[in-house]
Amino acid sequence: MARRKKKEEEKVIEANLLPVMNIMFLLIPALLMAMEFASMAAINVSPPKFSSAPSEPQEEKKEQEKPLDLKVFIMEDGYRVEASGQQEGADAGKAADSSRPTIPLAKAGAPIDDYERYDFDALEAKAKEYKKLFPNDTTVKVSAESNVPMQVLITTMDSLAGRDCKIGKFMKGTEDVPDNCYFWQPIIEGGAG
Amino acid sequence: MTPDQLAAQDAATKAFLAKKKAKAAARRQKGEEEPTLGMTSLMDIVSILVIYLLKSYASDPVVINPTAGQKIPFSAADASIQDGMPVFVTVRGITFQDKKLVTMDSEGNVDSSMVQNHLIGPLFDAFSEEADKAKQLAENRGTEWEGRLIIVGDQALKFSTLVDVLYTAGRAEFKEYTFCVIRKA
Repeated sequence: MARRKKKEEEKVIEANLLPVMNIMFLLIPALLMAMEFASMAAINVSPPKFSSAPSEPQEEKKEQEKPLDLKVFIMEDGYRVEASGQQEGADAGKAADSSRPTIPLAKAGAPIDDYERYDFDALEAKAKEYKKLFPNDTTVKVSAESNVPMQVLITTMDSLAGRDCKIGKFMKGTEDVPDNCYFWQPIIEGGAG
Repeated sequence: MTPDQLAAQDAATKAFLAKKKAKAAARRQKGEEEPTLGMTSLMDIVSILVIYLLKSYASDPVVINPTAGQKIPFSAADASIQDGMPVFVTVRGITFQDKKLVTMDSEGNVDSSMVQNHLIGPLFDAFSEEADKAKQLAENRGTEWEGRLIIVGDQALKFSTLVDVLYTAGRAEFKEYTFCVIRKA
């Protein structure tokens, strides 16, 4: 009697894995199809801000510290960089000079579809310079001429943020903004700058 | 040999043959047993594969499938794409919710009949409709609508077209814009 009971206990019931396998084999192609083979990333941009009439305390603050108000205009012949309402490299007494860029092209005469013709290194160096003077500023207004391609705009924003700037972890809230990030909050402005 | 001996020998032969036949039948029967397939190792592989794929899928909640011929710009940015509505803007047209709403002219500008003061008519209608739906959905869930638009552009896309799309999205009450880019290796 005891032996018979033991024999019954020893009998292994094999699970029917066929339905599980069916689901698994359907899941694999579905997930493979949904998978990204090129790693995507995001650049968050802000639309142009329209400020309302400032109240008195804000005005007082403005008087105390002059904001950087960094603006970069992408022209077909280079960058025009403007800070605190004054274009860098403009003729004396002029706030802006549309005839001359602050940072000329790295490859003068290259066609507009050559995305490497702008001097991104010089722009990054300029951003680093401004960041040293205004360490708390993170925004930059970016505008461009009509024909400027999107790739140039993106690489310009990369240069202004710092091409080694990795803010992915900051966006997730796990880390602070790294020191090598300069102006990583771009505001897109339309029209001529 | 006596007849008794002959009968005994015959019986022995018969018994031997019967035994041989029984053995052969037993062997045959054994051979017909169904072979079982070892599924454990296969299950291990499949489970690991499924977990890996699910994990990589979960890290990016938005799946971007670029339209044919679209070249997404490259960038050094590393922030992951947050949930939002993707709009595909190429030098040939603008696609939203799998519908090609706007066509471009040969120079890559929005067809002049579709745009007025930076507002792209068909795109504005589609944006407004989707924004209303999303707002309603968020309200039913008791959450706030984020109003995020993911702009999946093209390397050669003109800045003027991009500004028109941003302006149209702004008019349709989208508040946050994200440029989708390919992470540089």
